[in-house]
Amino acid sequence: MNKPPDTATVSASAKELTDEERSLEGINSDYTEKFGFHDSEEGYAYKAPKGLNREIVESISDYKNEPAWMREFRLKAYDHFVSRPTPQWGGNLNQIDWNDIHYFVRASEKNSRDWSEVPEDIKNTFDRLGIPEAERKFLSGVGAQYESEVVYHQVNEKLEAQGVIFTDMDTALREHEDLVREYWATIIPPNDNKLAALNSAVWSGGSFVYVPAGVKVDMPLQAYFRINTENMGQFERTLIIAEEGSDVHYIEGCTAPTYSSDSLHSAVVEIVAKKSARVRYTTVQNWSQNVFNLVTKRAVAHEDATMEWVDCNLGSKLTMKYPSIYLMGERAHGEILSIAFAGKGQHQDAGGKIIHAAPKTTSSIFSKSISKDAGRATYRGLLEIAKGATESKSKVVCDALLLDEDSRSDTYPTIRIGEDNVDVGHEATVSKVGDDMVYYLQSRGLDEEEASKMIVNGFIEPITKELPMEYAVEMNRLIELQMEGSIG
Amino acid sequence: MKLIEADTEEGPAKIGIFNCGGRLFAIEDRCSHDDGPLAEGEFDASACTVECPRHGSLFDLTSGRPKTLPAYQPVRTFPVAIEDDTIKLEVS
Repeated sequence: MNKPPDTATVSASAKELTDEERSLEGINSDYTEKFGFHDSEEGYAYKAPKGLNREIVESISDYKNEPAWMREFRLKAYDHFVSRPTPQWGGNLNQIDWNDIHYFVRASEKNSRDWSEVPEDIKNTFDRLGIPEAERKFLSGVGAQYESEVVYHQVNEKLEAQGVIFTDMDTALREHEDLVREYWATIIPPNDNKLAALNSAVWSGGSFVYVPAGVKVDMPLQAYFRINTENMGQFERTLIIAEEGSDVHYIEGCTAPTYSSDSLHSAVVEIVAKKSARVRYTTVQNWSQNVFNLVTKRAVAHEDATMEWVDCNLGSKLTMKYPSIYLMGERAHGEILSIAFAGKGQHQDAGGKIIHAAPKTTSSIFSKSISKDAGRATYRGLLEIAKGATESKSKVVCDALLLDEDSRSDTYPTIRIGEDNVDVGHEATVSKVGDDMVYYLQSRGLDEEEASKMIVNGFIEPITKELPMEYAVEMNRLIELQMEGSIG
Repeated sequence: MKLIEADTEEGPAKIGIFNCGGRLFAIEDRCSHDDGPLAEGEFDASACTVECPRHGSLFDLTSGRPKTLPAYQPVRTFPVAIEDDTIKLEVS
């Protein structure tokens, strides 16, 4: 791990909170009612005992009837996981009891393409979360993962006829083994880090997306991840391959019940955007506040390709996630938009990494964080311009908004520049919701509550405007919800 | 794998020499990702690759190029020749 050259830790100055600031407290306050419920585990097909050892890893592979190479891959990754120390940077991972986790839970025996065949309890859960409705309204395909495996998957028939593959990773390994194997772990090898090693050992579910050359997927593909069991580990694995000139937008969302003990979500996402392809990957992460969310996401963009991560982190106890883009071909473009809310008991350690490895590549990282109720938001980023990546341009902007005196914002930007003929900019701001801003808006006819909502929505607007309408509305709703009822 | 130290045109360097089914290849013992030691990583003679023990990048020993991330730049390679019973390494 490279030591960051610049570290800034800022806390809001101590003073009495204004009504407006108080009104912003309580983000996600309806979580328990809306997402925090859980179903009975009666009828589950299999639940591995807590803890991890070689036998558990082998049993997952046996259960899935995998080819020998995947079994060997898992076991080798398990050895890496065991031999690597727990990282001592970022959030406090020493809180995780690796032996108090169920590493594989199968709720249903089958993955269905017919919604009516999904088991009743699970169907009710996804109905409540609005998944089938979203599919009907604005998606090209949807996958729903419940515990360790995908229980429902569907893709638009027209896209299928064009050769688009959108399926769960277990099915992809069975039906498209050669294609999976060609790209598998080439972007994130199992020994990349301890959590990638863990995922590689016990992965289950996730999405496989293949978009043939020239095919544009007009509407997004979406996957929804749901944890139901207490002390659950969810380890999905996603691989997206966008062939030359193709275009695809993938969206993922996730929630879990609220429990008093912790769960773990540790995904690996690998993306290949070939020449002139465009891939956008949007995450709306809203795990309950007992979930450790430790994810490795990395993409490669070849010549003239565009890769975009839109990363919204609202939930979880601790998130450590830094989506990366390797710009490997000339004129490739990468963009990372990151937004993080850190409320009471939360630490959002987020950011992004962009590596310019070819000439005339361009990139931007925009990070916005809001901390409240002693929450902690961290921006951790890397911008690297390799020798030879001449005429490259990049801009990094990280803005933090602190809503009270106990909240905290840290910025760890690392910038390495190996060429002279490049253009790199970095800006960082930390601000509070000030009385003067509210006063000004009140002078324009808004009441205090409306003024506060407008300031926060304006702060995150550069990110929410990049979300599909339905998600932007949901994000704004979440913000507004937190601000209701505490004024007057 | 045999690890040696040599003075190269870029200064002193550790070099790993690998035997891929009778063909010899030499690379600098330094991963292009974070400069960590590379040559003592897992060696696959049939694929002629070595895996960086620190972050898992797989290097093609014939070219020095990484086959997987996080490394994206090649490592230095050195021509190897066998003359009689002597292995000769061209380092400058």
